[in-house]
Amino acid sequence: MTPRDWTRHPPACTPGYFSSIPRAPRKGLIPLDPDVAALTGPVFGARDIGAMDGDLIRNAAAPGEMAIGPRIVVQGRVLDEGGRGVPGALLEIWQANAGGRYRHVRDGYLAPLDPNFAGAGRVLTGEDGGYHFDTVMPGAYPFPNGPNAWRPAHIHFSVFGRAFAQRLVTQMYFEGDPMIRHCPIAATLPSAEAVAALTARYDPDHDRPMDARAFRFDIVLRGRRETPVEAG
Amino acid sequence: MKETPSQTAGPFLHIGLMPDGIGIAPLAAPSPAEPVTLHGTLHDADGAPVSDALVEMWQVGGPWARCPTDAQGGWRLLAARPGAIPFVALWIIARGINTGLHTRLYFPDIDHAGDAAMARVPQDRRGTLVALDEGDGAYRLDIRLGGEDETVFFDV
Repeated sequence: MTPRDWTRHPPACTPGYFSSIPRAPRKGLIPLDPDVAALTGPVFGARDIGAMDGDLIRNAAAPGEMAIGPRIVVQGRVLDEGGRGVPGALLEIWQANAGGRYRHVRDGYLAPLDPNFAGAGRVLTGEDGGYHFDTVMPGAYPFPNGPNAWRPAHIHFSVFGRAFAQRLVTQMYFEGDPMIRHCPIAATLPSAEAVAALTARYDPDHDRPMDARAFRFDIVLRGRRETPVEAG
Repeated sequence: MKETPSQTAGPFLHIGLMPDGIGIAPLAAPSPAEPVTLHGTLHDADGAPVSDALVEMWQVGGPWARCPTDAQGGWRLLAARPGAIPFVALWIIARGINTGLHTRLYFPDIDHAGDAAMARVPQDRRGTLVALDEGDGAYRLDIRLGGEDETVFFDV
């Protein structure tokens, strides 16, 4: 396992995002030996995934009903740093509904819940590291961080690769959203390049005509930075 | 290629990571044959309980498990009775944690003198990683994200 490139990630304490201040360790991280960091993790498989887990439009809907909102497909690949697809990676995803409201006891935003939308799903990557799921475009919403702060439309991702050191939680934003540059959480990212890496691109080649627009989001996990060599 | 950047899990991580509350079965965590209970609290630098976090555990040769913290910052996980490996790895995410934090729980009754990670930790901070043996297969470790007794976190 290659050392983590910390220029890529937000620092622990980012005062513009208030919640980080009391939750940021100050004494520095202690590096582990790479072989220790490479401990393999749990392996999830098809038995862990329900038939509807990748369809957020219908997985919490009453029979014959669907979630309200602009229909989208999010698709892409999970890759390692060598550009090789990571098969069998588990993605867990969660998001607000089209009005910007989460189905969560602690979310009291004015926007209504959608009775046919839970905002949770999960998918496994295929042999080439590819994945996709169906959902509705999440809405922007305000959050307590000074007098007026808003989150851009975003989808939360949790990723299990093969090793504990690859474990990743992040958020996906949408190309062209003006809210990104005003967001205190997106602003924790250390560079415009890092923001771009979290911004899904509209991908008309993968649209489902007369059904849903497609957005492409590739995820890169640590490890295998060397040029991949294909067997056989 | 460069690793995808991290972002905070936010306050509503339960929706995606503990979705049983909305009718989706949670990921199955294997139950160990000879379980021991690991538990403790999670506090921030000001000593306030962190009630919206998730603690994940990976044990070498043992189970994987996760637990959301409760209103008092409490968490509880089942591990396998440890053999020669003196620790379990813990990973913590929450609102306000920009990149998931790696730490470890060491069992007090298993020799960790030769442990490579512990060897890198300054002597006066090692205690933040060693659980208290409460008997009856229960071990307690309180985790502090900051302050005087800040827990040791690793760059994994």
